[in-house]
Amino acid sequence: MRLIAALLATALLAVPPAMAQQRPLIWGDTLPATLDPHAIFDVPSQFILLNAYDGLYRYQGNPPQLTPWLVERHTTSADGLTWEFTLREGVKFHDGTPMTSEDVAYSFRRLLAMNRAPAAAFSPVLKPEGISTPDERTVRFVLSAPYAPFLAALPLVAVVNAKLLQANTVNDDWGAAWLAANDAGSGAYRMDPATYRTRTSLDLERFAEHFLGWAHNRRPIDQVRSRPIMETSTRVLALLRGEIDAGDSYLPTDQVERVERNARTRVQKDESMRVFIIRMNNRKPPFDNLDARLCFAHAFNYEGFNTIILKGLVVRNAGPNPNSLWGNPPNLAPYAFDLAKAKEHCDRARAAGSPIGREIEIHIQSELEQTTQAAQMFQADLRRVGINLKIVPNTWANITAATARAESTPDTWIHWVSSYFIDPENWIGQMYDSRFHGTWKASSWYRNERVDAMLAQARGSLDRAERERLYQEATRIVVAESPDIWVYNTLNLRGVSRRVQGWNFSPVGSGGELRTLWLEN
Amino acid sequence: MARYILRRVLLALPALFGLVLLTFVLTRVIPGDPAATLAGDSATPAQIADIRARYGLDRPIWEQALVHVKQVLTGDLGSSIFSGRPVIEEIGFRLPATLELTFFALFLATAIGIPLGVVAALNHNGPVDQLVRLISVGGLAIASFWLALMLQLVFAMEWDVLPLRGRVEVELGTPPLRTGFLLIDSLLAGRLDQFRDALWHLVLPAVTLCLPGLASIARFTRSGMLEMLQKDFVLYARAAGYGRFRLYAIYVLRNAVTVTVTQIGLLFGALISGAVAVEAIYDWPGLGTYAVQAILSADYKALLAVTLVVGVVYAAVNVLVDVVQALVDPRVAEDIR
Repeated sequence: MRLIAALLATALLAVPPAMAQQRPLIWGDTLPATLDPHAIFDVPSQFILLNAYDGLYRYQGNPPQLTPWLVERHTTSADGLTWEFTLREGVKFHDGTPMTSEDVAYSFRRLLAMNRAPAAAFSPVLKPEGISTPDERTVRFVLSAPYAPFLAALPLVAVVNAKLLQANTVNDDWGAAWLAANDAGSGAYRMDPATYRTRTSLDLERFAEHFLGWAHNRRPIDQVRSRPIMETSTRVLALLRGEIDAGDSYLPTDQVERVERNARTRVQKDESMRVFIIRMNNRKPPFDNLDARLCFAHAFNYEGFNTIILKGLVVRNAGPNPNSLWGNPPNLAPYAFDLAKAKEHCDRARAAGSPIGREIEIHIQSELEQTTQAAQMFQADLRRVGINLKIVPNTWANITAATARAESTPDTWIHWVSSYFIDPENWIGQMYDSRFHGTWKASSWYRNERVDAMLAQARGSLDRAERERLYQEATRIVVAESPDIWVYNTLNLRGVSRRVQGWNFSPVGSGGELRTLWLEN
Repeated sequence: MARYILRRVLLALPALFGLVLLTFVLTRVIPGDPAATLAGDSATPAQIADIRARYGLDRPIWEQALVHVKQVLTGDLGSSIFSGRPVIEEIGFRLPATLELTFFALFLATAIGIPLGVVAALNHNGPVDQLVRLISVGGLAIASFWLALMLQLVFAMEWDVLPLRGRVEVELGTPPLRTGFLLIDSLLAGRLDQFRDALWHLVLPAVTLCLPGLASIARFTRSGMLEMLQKDFVLYARAAGYGRFRLYAIYVLRNAVTVTVTQIGLLFGALISGAVAVEAIYDWPGLGTYAVQAILSADYKALLAVTLVVGVVYAAVNVLVDVVQALVDPRVAEDIR
């Protein structure tokens, strides 16, 4: 008892332990719910995908360039159905096993069998029997229909160590239970399963034998500690205090100046490809009426939101595709905030019998402050044209579940569309082709047969010029019909310690690739 | 006494069974589709339907409830539908973190609250009593998330005397986990530096968490003491020449504190639920943050397991409180017999 009392007294009177002078990189961004790269598909999972695994291709730089990664070259048949990839030599997994075409084939078969979201980009055109391995370095995919975004979507798929997973497979689960907390990759960093606690901690160690070598980085980071901090305010304070070296890529705009002013920290600002959007349920009156939608499109104060609330740290985006992506029509004019025009359209909608006077719900994601700010501003301006907007706090999980049916999809809701693969298919293709109805991406339930036909044709064509023309035309029609309200394209804002150098941002993964980073003493 | 304890335990079982059923129904009728969330971004309706079938989410709710109850009765809480890991493993890591914080907060609330209540009662309507009343009202009125932010700003950011967040300094590492309580594990490992660091990290979250409880305990102790001080036996004891310390500390306080002990049991539940906000702000890797993540991602398996585990802990603490109460005042056990 005396010993405990003495210990307590010593501890309470002592000064806090001093911080070590040299530390590994402490990464404060969110960890995904699982380490299995085929089981989950969201922004946090990109951290695992980019650092612990490799894919056939990878996006590098900004604007992102599709770069051959595990492959040396590829060929495509004239009909666009057969794709053959020749793998690099000398690629090793973290356990030393050489990577072969069997691992690639196994990875795609596993992805299709598990049928989680990354599979959505492939499952309509690729079946397990369409994957073959003519030799150790060649993998062949035979698609059931031409699919132009095939190459662009390849970076979504991590290549896993087939032998290791087969050894850890239980009840035909493709090793899912094991891989949820283990490493079967070849990426530049090796995960330490012993340190893994779901969404709480994970240590990574540099993989010296990574196939690209380390000549590009004189002082690569050897140890990385991933320590996600859930609460934004605590994350910012921890960064300012030097407890973490990087926060997430959603630094609130009102914290930018504070982080910049701090001697220890700075803000890494990069134009990304993440479009902020207010969805309207085009199946539900009044949004089945074009004038009602135009009324809403003119009632949002774009300039006020982007310049005042977000302090000019975003770029106005006129349509569904990010500004910097190909396939946008030249001189696409964005909708302007004009309450007189909004009222005019509202009056027209009312005259046509549209129930624009009813209470209209806007669902926000409670934990994301910007969605609240946008909704509150929209509510105030719509009130000036006689529209009653009710703000409904909600969560991403609930809203996306509700978008499975038009009847349960909210009247309006707010979200971002991030870049998973760099192709108009990721935005306009999946948002406004009615074949995707029932997914959250197509939750405005917009239908235009001409647009459907153009998007399908663009998806099946391998002629880039033709695809560009089709996407431009489809974008013009969609923007004119205003199914949604497109607000801005994101500037990726990540608070980082000044000692972190060698930043290599790419919109895919929000700059979470560690390979090029180094620490200044 | 053994019969008394057994009765209390048996009484807790129907409550826990009710909790299992009620929470299952609640998690399945509230909006949200775990299959859609699990399928992830860009999933097609066919993919979502496939996942729904794979997890049995397409079956009638009563059938799902039956399966759930059967699993719980066999000690199987299932796997998190997101992490794919057994929830019992995930909870096993997080529960000790929450309990360590909660017990420490309870210890502070009791160790400070009872003396405050006694002092206030002995200075009835005096300046000390007024001050304790002010602390009590303030403690109950201040929102914990606001207090947490203020304490972080002052003690961690401005004065730099206490840690901002977490359970332990990242570079110091953690001792081998035996009990999951860092204070105990660090002592078992002979790592006084880790013990000191873990204790240091506990201070701000525990102070934030304990304040409403402290206020409540002080108030109950004060009113219990005031009531006892009016009793004839106190007058008699005074007349018989008992010393002040002996009279107040042994006779009056012992009688006055029975209500406070009951209150401590109830407080434990409040502290566990209050830990959700406190854990989120102090980045404390406990059950509270786990529950928030489970809610945000509609991970109903994790959510069900958390509510059950918290329910069991709460029931156990209440049994313990009943036993302590019976020890303090043997008439309680007598009455029930």
